[in-house]
Amino acid sequence: MKLLGIDLGSREVKVVVMENQEVSQQFKVSTMSFYRDYCNFTGKIVVDLKKLGVEDADIKISTGYGKNNTDLEEFETINELKAHVYGVFYQTELKNFVLLDVGGQDVKVVRVEKGLITDLELNEKCAASCGRYLENMAEVLEVPLTELAEYSQDPVELNSTCAVFSESELIGQIAEGAKLERLCAGVNYSMYKRLDPLLTKFKGKRLVISGGVAQNKAIRDYLKQDYEEVISLAEPQFNGAIGCCYYGQLTGEAENRE
Amino acid sequence: MSKIGITTTVPSEILFAAGYQVIDLNNIFVTADDYSDYIDLAERDGFPKSCCAWTKGIYGVCVAHDIKEVVGVISGDCSNTEALAGVLEKRGVKIHPFSYPHGRKLADVKAEIERFRECFGVSQESVEEYREKFNQIRALAEEIDRLTYQDYKASGFENHLYQVSCSDFNGDPDLFKEQLAEKITEIEAREAKEPKLRLGLIGVPPMTVDLYQYVTEFGARIIYNEVQREFAFPRWQEADNIYQLYHDYTYPYDLEFRLQELNKQIQERKLDGIIHYTQAFCHRNIEQIVIKDELELPILNIKGDKLNQLDSRTKLRLEAFLDMLGDLKEGQA
Repeated sequence: MKLLGIDLGSREVKVVVMENQEVSQQFKVSTMSFYRDYCNFTGKIVVDLKKLGVEDADIKISTGYGKNNTDLEEFETINELKAHVYGVFYQTELKNFVLLDVGGQDVKVVRVEKGLITDLELNEKCAASCGRYLENMAEVLEVPLTELAEYSQDPVELNSTCAVFSESELIGQIAEGAKLERLCAGVNYSMYKRLDPLLTKFKGKRLVISGGVAQNKAIRDYLKQDYEEVISLAEPQFNGAIGCCYYGQLTGEAENRE
Repeated sequence: MSKIGITTTVPSEILFAAGYQVIDLNNIFVTADDYSDYIDLAERDGFPKSCCAWTKGIYGVCVAHDIKEVVGVISGDCSNTEALAGVLEKRGVKIHPFSYPHGRKLADVKAEIERFRECFGVSQESVEEYREKFNQIRALAEEIDRLTYQDYKASGFENHLYQVSCSDFNGDPDLFKEQLAEKITEIEAREAKEPKLRLGLIGVPPMTVDLYQYVTEFGARIIYNEVQREFAFPRWQEADNIYQLYHDYTYPYDLEFRLQELNKQIQERKLDGIIHYTQAFCHRNIEQIVIKDELELPILNIKGDKLNQLDSRTKLRLEAFLDMLGDLKEGQA
C-alpha cells in the first residue's frame, strides 16, 4: 500500500510518502510555491501530483491549518492535532505523553492518555511564541538559526510580550555590548518563557516535541527542567505528514479487514 | 405541607413519612432560566469565586425561596456542605445534618439512619411503607435505564433526567410515578437506534446538560449516567430494609466500592469510553487520579464551572477525544 501525507503549514508544505510502513520519500515545498506552482483551483484545490512527483498513492490524507485551505481534491482531510498525534504514535509507539508542537505560526499542546487526546491548548491571535519569532531574531543577530539554537547559558533579559518590541530590546542589548552567546540565549529563553504559560496546565512526566522548534537545543534544555523526559522526534518537521500516512495506513488496514 | 430542602440524595422515605414535601435544591438551581442569579446572590453574600457553583446555587435557592429547613449531607457527598450548613443556620435556616459514614459499615449506616429517623419522630413501619412505595418508582426509573442501554430507545438526557429526579421524586412521588409510566410508553414506541460509540458519564450530574446532545453529533451516546443511576437505587431489589438500601449505594462512600460498580457497568454496557464530569473547585477532581488508573477505558475529564452550557474549549476537547475513540473502535488506532 502506497500512502501520501501532506501537511500544509504556514511556512512550508511537508510531503511524505510511505510504502510498506516505511517512509520512502519526504520533502518540503514553500507554502507559497505549493499553492502557486503545484495547485489548480476548481472550487476545490487540485494538487498536481505528477508535477510534485508523488503519483500512484492508494490513500491520500491531508492536514494543516484551516479546514478550507487543506481540503484537497482526492484527499481525506484530518484534523491537525490528530495528524500530529498519529505521527508520534508512528515515530515513538508511545501512548501516554504531552505533545508540544511549535510551528511557524502556531503552537499546539496536546495531552494524550491511553492513546487518545484528552486535552489540548492552542495559541491565540499572536504568533510571538512561534518559530517565526526565532527566525526574525536570528536575522537581527545575523546568525543562522542552527547556531542561535545552541546557546542557553546566561541569557540576556528580553521581557516584551510583543515579538516586534523584542527586536528593539535585543538591539538595545547589542548596543550595550552583550556577547553573541548571551544574546542568542536570551532569544531562546524568551521563547521558552512564552511557551511556559501554555504548558502550565500540561504538567506530566513525558514531553514530546515536534515542529521546527524541536530542533532548538537550548529550548529543549529549558524544557528538561520541567519534565522528567523530553523526547525530540527524529523527524519533528515531518511529524504531521507522517501522521497522515500512518492514519491512512491504519484506515486502509481496517477497511481490508472488513 | 411544609417544604424541606436537600443538598443531595438522603433517605427521603423518612422525610416524606414525616409529612414534608422534599425539594432537591440542586434541581431548582440548575433548571432555572436565571440560574446564574443564584450564584450572584451567593457571591454578593461573600461566597468566594473559588467555590463550587453547586454550593453557591444551593445557597442562592435557599435565600431566594425562603427555605426554612434543609437536610445537609455533611459527610460523604460534598466537602463544602458543612460550611454551607453553618452559614445557612446563621441565616435562620433549620439544618438537619445527615452523614454517609466513611467506611460503609452497615452498622454505622443503620445507626445514622436511626438517628435521622428519630429526629423526625417517625416510625420504622411508616418509613418501610414509603420504601416499598418508592420501590415501584425505582423500578420505573430502572426501566428507563434499560431502554437506554439495551433497547437504544431512550436518549442520554432522558436517562439523566428521570434518574436524577429520583433524589426528591420532583417533590411529588405519585405524580412523578405517573410521569415516568407515560414517558416509558412514549419511549417504547420509538425505533431502536444503536449508537456508534457507547459512552459512560461518571461523576456528579453535570451542569452542562447540552453535553448529551453534543456527543451525538459524533455518533456517540451516553448510555450510562453513574451518579444519576445511583440516585435511583438500581439495586433496590436486593435490599430488605432501608439500611441495606442506603448501604448499597456507591457514590458517597469509598472509591473502592464505587470502582467495583463502575467496572461492572462498563462490562455490562460494553462501554467504549468514559467522560468524567467534575465541578471546578470540587474535591472530587482529586479522585480522577485514581479513577484514570483503575479503569482501563479511555477517560476524558471535563470540568464545569458557572455556565450551564459547554464552553468552546471543552467542545473542542470532546470532538478530538470522540474522533480518536471512533478510530480506536474501528481498529485504526
